[in-house]
Amino acid sequence: MTDLAIVGMGMLTGTQAGRSMRSILAEASRLAIEDAGIDRSQVTAAVEVRSAAGRGGRAGSSDAFPRLLGLPVDFYQPIGRGGTGGAFAVAIAGMLIDRGIANYVVIAGGSLDYSESKRAKSSSGAKGTVRIEPEGYWGRPFGDLRAVSHHSFFASRHMHEYGTTSRHLGLIATQLRDWALLNPQARYYGRPLTLEQYEAEDYLVYPYRRDDVCVMTDGAVAMVVTGADRARDSEHPVSVRGIGFGEAMAQLWWEKRNYTSLAVQNAKQQAFGQAGITLDDIDCVQFYDCFTGEVLLQLEDYGWAGKGEGGAFLESTRIGPGGTLPVNTGGGLMSAYHFGDLTGFSEALLQLRGQATGRQLENCGTALVTGHGGEVLNPGMCSAHSTVVLSTE
Amino acid sequence: MTVPTPNIDNDNRAFWEGVDEGKFLLARCGVCGSWYWPISYCRQAHPAAPFMGDLSWVEGSGRGAVFAFNVHHVALEGWLADRIPYVNAIIELDEGPMFGTNVVDCPTGEVRVGMPVRIVIRDVDGVKLPLAVPAPAGA
Ligand SMILES: [Zn+2]
Repeated sequence: MTDLAIVGMGMLTGTQAGRSMRSILAEASRLAIEDAGIDRSQVTAAVEVRSAAGRGGRAGSSDAFPRLLGLPVDFYQPIGRGGTGGAFAVAIAGMLIDRGIANYVVIAGGSLDYSESKRAKSSSGAKGTVRIEPEGYWGRPFGDLRAVSHHSFFASRHMHEYGTTSRHLGLIATQLRDWALLNPQARYYGRPLTLEQYEAEDYLVYPYRRDDVCVMTDGAVAMVVTGADRARDSEHPVSVRGIGFGEAMAQLWWEKRNYTSLAVQNAKQQAFGQAGITLDDIDCVQFYDCFTGEVLLQLEDYGWAGKGEGGAFLESTRIGPGGTLPVNTGGGLMSAYHFGDLTGFSEALLQLRGQATGRQLENCGTALVTGHGGEVLNPGMCSAHSTVVLSTE
Repeated sequence: MTVPTPNIDNDNRAFWEGVDEGKFLLARCGVCGSWYWPISYCRQAHPAAPFMGDLSWVEGSGRGAVFAFNVHHVALEGWLADRIPYVNAIIELDEGPMFGTNVVDCPTGEVRVGMPVRIVIRDVDGVKLPLAVPAPAGA
């Protein structure tokens, strides 16, 4: 099995109003390919990470970003099941490289949620809630129709079982905001959030307030993956040390722990095993943080805190700037930007390459990037988890 | 705007037909009697069972308790404007499965995890829905 490396990255942030998804993916890919120091003609495979792929029959759309950019691809597939697609795309790249199908694979994902929601003039305008879920889930007549409608069950159950409080969730929201204050590209740059402000906010969907919910932004990220042999010539290669996946779907609705824990165990074991690392080796953590509850659960499920002790852990350990466990150092999905499944990768790459201007960690050698998602409404709920370990060596 | 209708497909049509007749149906294994919702192959994996593992739709007790809940304070779509605040909950049914619905007939501030409920079929603006109402123990 070939060792993999990420050798290029391109990012577009801020409003992309008036642009198509395929054009922002093409542009991010162009930047990533230039960053990798290679020619477009060398990129012969492309993976598009979508929030949901393939709806509407055999073809999801009439055009594709590799055609727009003129990539001579032998392979192009959109993938998507919400949340874990970044890890899956890297795994696909590994297979293509292993079999000699491609030497360089570009992976791209993005979002136009911000500008499209402005255009749709959605009724509520509530942060993170305007995204239109697919029609037809059976939860709709019950008013269960956005991610926040059911993700809040995680927090509700955790609060009941373990005495977790709103203040604990606020410790997450405010510390991720503190990171965003150091990132000029973040949605909430320049807009501090104190614990007092958080606790004074109205509930959106109790127990979640507006700042328990991720941002809705435009933007795109692309990265170029290649084999370790080719990566040696690149300017700032980042090694893919481990990839893992976990799934709770077979237990959903019988195994009742899945409302207080995520399918981390197997994903972590696979990825950490491949990498030969333990928690102590991780210098920065990029959790998939669609809601504050997901951060809390992952702090426990990865083992930084015992099960049910995430709240107490947050009282004693800082995850914000200057803290001992730096989590989502760009501000994350909560306060920076939502590039579909690739936000964590973008920040991990910046930190490992020493390019996280204004928030660069000292001696950042190994990063954890997680994904969380899956089917999103009743009865299945976000049963998937992914773990990726990246490092500078 | 009216209440959206449930998405009815080949796996849950019998459930919703039951709701229309005022019944709260669960899938039951014909081999061992285990209860499921939504429809699922029996987790006992009985060998040589017929298609879909010999499941049939049988009326459940409708009894259970709130497992987790939330309170929607914002109308996420226009038709919910006169419904907020409303409670969405996961109900742990006495038979074992979990079932997601609204808790009604109860002030939103009084809903608690562990609260006993029973499922009733109500007409909500022309759509029959299985909803949870408080059910004091023994009632
Ligand atoms: Zn059975």
